[in-house]
Amino acid sequence: MNRRSFLKKIPIAASAPIILNGLPLNALARGSALYKMAAESDNDRIIVLIQLHGGNDGLNMLVPVDQYSNYYNLRPNIAIPDHGARRFINLDSTLPVKDQMGLHPDMKGVKELYDQGKVAVVQGVGYENMNGSHFRSRDIWFMGGDYNDDYGSGWMGRYLDHLYPGYPDAFPSESMPDPLGLEIGTAVSLAFHRANGIPTAVSVDNPDQFYNLINSVGGLPPESVANTHYGDELQWIMDIEKKSNQYAGRLKEVYEQGRNSPGVTYPEKYPFNAPGGAVNNPLSAQLKMIARLLNGGVKTKIFLARIGGFDTHADQVESYDPTMGKHAALLYHISSAVKAFQDDLKGLGLEHRVLTMTFSEFGRRPASNGSWGTDHGTSAPMLIFGKEVNAGVVGTNPDLNNLERNNLKSQFDYRQVFGSVLQDWMGASDPDMEKTMLEDFVTPQTKLPLISDGLITAVEKQDFIEKRFRLENCYPNPANSIAVFSYFINRHSFVSLNILDTNGKIIKEVVKEQQSVGSHEVMVDVSQFKPGAYIYRIKAGEWEVAKRFVVVR
Amino acid sequence: MASLNPLAGTLGKKLATHLLRRATFGPAKNDIDIWAGNTVSQGVKDLFKALPAYDPPKDPATGADWINPKPTEANSPQEDLKEHLNVWWIDKMCHSGISIGEKMAFFYHTHFTTIKSRIRFAPAIYYQIALFRYYALGNFKEITKKICMDNAMLMHLDGQLNEVGRPNENFGREFLELYSIGKGVQKGPSDYTNYTEEDVVEAARVFSGFGIDEDFTGTDPESGLVRGRVKTGNGTLAARHDAGAKIFSKAFQNTVIEPKEMIDGKATEAAALDEISQLVDMVFDQEETARHICRKLYRFFVYYKISEEIEQDIIIPLAGTFRDNNFEIQPVLEQLLSSQHFYDQDNSVNTDDIVGAVIKSPLELVLGTLRFFKVEITTDADLEKYYETYYRAVIRELKFHGMDFYEPFEVAGYTAYHQAPSYNRNWISANYLAERYKYAENLLNGFYGENDNLLCKLNVMEYVADPKNISDPSNPEKLTRELTEYLLPQEITEERFNYFMNTILLDDLSIMNWKSEWQQYQLTGDDTNVRVQLERLVKAIMQSPEYQLS
Repeated sequence: MNRRSFLKKIPIAASAPIILNGLPLNALARGSALYKMAAESDNDRIIVLIQLHGGNDGLNMLVPVDQYSNYYNLRPNIAIPDHGARRFINLDSTLPVKDQMGLHPDMKGVKELYDQGKVAVVQGVGYENMNGSHFRSRDIWFMGGDYNDDYGSGWMGRYLDHLYPGYPDAFPSESMPDPLGLEIGTAVSLAFHRANGIPTAVSVDNPDQFYNLINSVGGLPPESVANTHYGDELQWIMDIEKKSNQYAGRLKEVYEQGRNSPGVTYPEKYPFNAPGGAVNNPLSAQLKMIARLLNGGVKTKIFLARIGGFDTHADQVESYDPTMGKHAALLYHISSAVKAFQDDLKGLGLEHRVLTMTFSEFGRRPASNGSWGTDHGTSAPMLIFGKEVNAGVVGTNPDLNNLERNNLKSQFDYRQVFGSVLQDWMGASDPDMEKTMLEDFVTPQTKLPLISDGLITAVEKQDFIEKRFRLENCYPNPANSIAVFSYFINRHSFVSLNILDTNGKIIKEVVKEQQSVGSHEVMVDVSQFKPGAYIYRIKAGEWEVAKRFVVVR
Repeated sequence: MASLNPLAGTLGKKLATHLLRRATFGPAKNDIDIWAGNTVSQGVKDLFKALPAYDPPKDPATGADWINPKPTEANSPQEDLKEHLNVWWIDKMCHSGISIGEKMAFFYHTHFTTIKSRIRFAPAIYYQIALFRYYALGNFKEITKKICMDNAMLMHLDGQLNEVGRPNENFGREFLELYSIGKGVQKGPSDYTNYTEEDVVEAARVFSGFGIDEDFTGTDPESGLVRGRVKTGNGTLAARHDAGAKIFSKAFQNTVIEPKEMIDGKATEAAALDEISQLVDMVFDQEETARHICRKLYRFFVYYKISEEIEQDIIIPLAGTFRDNNFEIQPVLEQLLSSQHFYDQDNSVNTDDIVGAVIKSPLELVLGTLRFFKVEITTDADLEKYYETYYRAVIRELKFHGMDFYEPFEVAGYTAYHQAPSYNRNWISANYLAERYKYAENLLNGFYGENDNLLCKLNVMEYVADPKNISDPSNPEKLTRELTEYLLPQEITEERFNYFMNTILLDDLSIMNWKSEWQQYQLTGDDTNVRVQLERLVKAIMQSPEYQLS
């Protein structure tokens, strides 16, 4: 296709200023410190992609709080409630009202990471004329093309192919001893395919087993291959065989040298009831292996992990509780596994090198169906994790009053996200971007501010965190003998925590001291309190918040 | 240009092998020798034998079949019964002789794929397989109608939940996208050329109001096979079916589908079922449907890349044959498999050879090997052993090779049958390829059961020593030639031949040495020396890239 035609096809957000945390923002300028830094060095940064297979329901992952009644009316049988023990989690009270969103109650891990300034949410990601077919739409995300393009290669494949000229023959090399891409599992997706020849990635489930397997089989391949259809297939098999022989030993070595952080436990199961297949966390083992390989020194640039089960036409939620069920478990898996991964990376001193992002072929329809599920929709949010992300929210809540054929309108093209990450995170050069065919998505008008910029960052991030303190709900509530108050502060500061009656009179001073960063928990004996409602109020620096609890006998 | 014109003359060994590998689950040497003397047209005709009658699977827990009546408490759990069904069907494939029917039944499974973990009741899967086998050589349009009311399909794509007032689009979408007309180029918002998003909604309305027959008693009048039911509530009408007019887009000439008979605003049972028939007729009236199916058949039997030349010269005329014969499958397959194109005889260009250009599916690799070497597998006389053997020697191997049988990762089915641009190349990843090679070793060592009892094994000595298989085993050249010729899809170079014979079989020793080793064996009956070398040879052939191709 004519590459220039891309330019005409980016109506989404191209004309409007890009909004970050409610404020218009210019994308990272080409001459910026980070951009130069990233482009100059042979950097050691990597991307971990998490594919949510089947089409993730963005609206139950991030509830548009500002349009709650609209949201509820569109999907009364599956809506996440705005009240009760399992109401949605307000992501960020500092955002403007129209951007207020609620995380699914099982995504506490994401909330914690967000408060640490390690999450960027990109709202409304899609592409023009989104395709309702799982398979076609997934191919488009992998291809890096338009709705009507048909490439035989994927954007990751093209990028890696250009970054490492001479693949596969010239690899492994001294400077790149590892597979360029690694897909967890046993097969390799279109995403890693080059225009011709074998893909740029190898798929691995377990490096030890992989090595043992590869080393136990095989003979000499034929020395010459005819230039025929038959010869083409023979060559394909031989090339894959050769690469796997070359990489198996190295991956085992790296894996054995690597370790995970001793203090980090990856979640294995969803803690509540869910349909059988959804209970086990399928992401943990994948991310754990990636962390261990990285610690062992693997130089692979792009990892692809996958979690399936998002095609929730039926029984997305339990009929008796819309916060429970298949989708809740999946969101818990993502949230808890990524949290553990991020903690693991931090413990290993690798946090600054890794950017993790989720994507799915499409979101689901705002209106639910009669089977406690949702049919195929269009755009949805993407989550980006990492120490160096521009923490916050890019874009705003989808407008439920302004649907297009019953579906959400996109705010951003998915290639703006991938392109911006390739350029600002991986330091892709202009020729890299052209070969990857994403160059039109990183112009000053289209690039998204996803990666924080060099020196300014530290201050910005500090600001971000200081704005975000948290007082947990007291438990039990109602209480009768002991009530536990816990909160999280992000700055060493003087903290006062008081219990007041409903007239505002202080009944008990619970905390009155300097406290350090982190979670705090304090138990209060309320057995002598008169039954009734009370307020507990925390102050730390300029931050102040109050909640209610009840004492019963 | 590529040509569908029939190829005249006799098949000969190479083309007979090609035909039999593609059209069946693989020939033995004897089959190849018989077919080699056939004319092309006779050779193809002889593939079309009706599938033999069969008994339903038996449950080791009861020793009896569990299809009719349906399973009770006394039976094994549903999950086990589903595994048993896999074995039962694959056993049929393994022992189907030289017939294209069983392979077509499998084609239907790759086309109308369901995922067994999504299907609660094992009998539903049994009746689905029965449907594939019933229509194996039958009418494609008819089986498409039947699959819409298939219990397993109604569970797999939530059809049973789709009701008037609470539509569920899952089946409606996949019916158009995967099972019939296929998705075309996206022309604009919600417009996929062949259908639109609105057509998905209207199709879902047609498919509303049908449910599972959990008793497995209601049958389809044509096939006599158990099918789903019309939800009638307490009455006799299609209570949960959307009785309104469904108006399709201009992709379907704005066709309107509505019940032909209504009482009190509800469709009658017959009228609701008839709407499925109307819908399938409407979709099959579009030229694109026949082409879409013919492309799938082409990729399954011939080659995965379809160039513009192939589209014009092969697909379009083949689709014409399909339509002219009211979607009967046999004339289309006969035309394709008899064509000059199928045998690389349609032009003088020799870079486009189709022989050997398909990567065998795991099923073709595993069953092809078992059938070629006539590896003995127990019958269902010993049920425990029967299930264990197939499970360990076949089902588990298929999974290692990337084919989780009746359990593909996604709704579109096994990746190799739908994922452009690589299609069957998806059978080869580092893991899968290594597991395929490993299979050769496993089969030669033998598969053992839980109690270390031998389940099945490729006994190379037995095979080679039988003069029906190898004419003169004392002659290493003849021996190597005969094995590579029958097992590999294309002629190999002298250099490659020498690798198999000298490096592997002879271990770089002389031909004379082998002759004397063989004589030694014949005199003493001690096969130690020759067995090791023969096993090395067969393993080397099976662990070659060439053997992965058909």
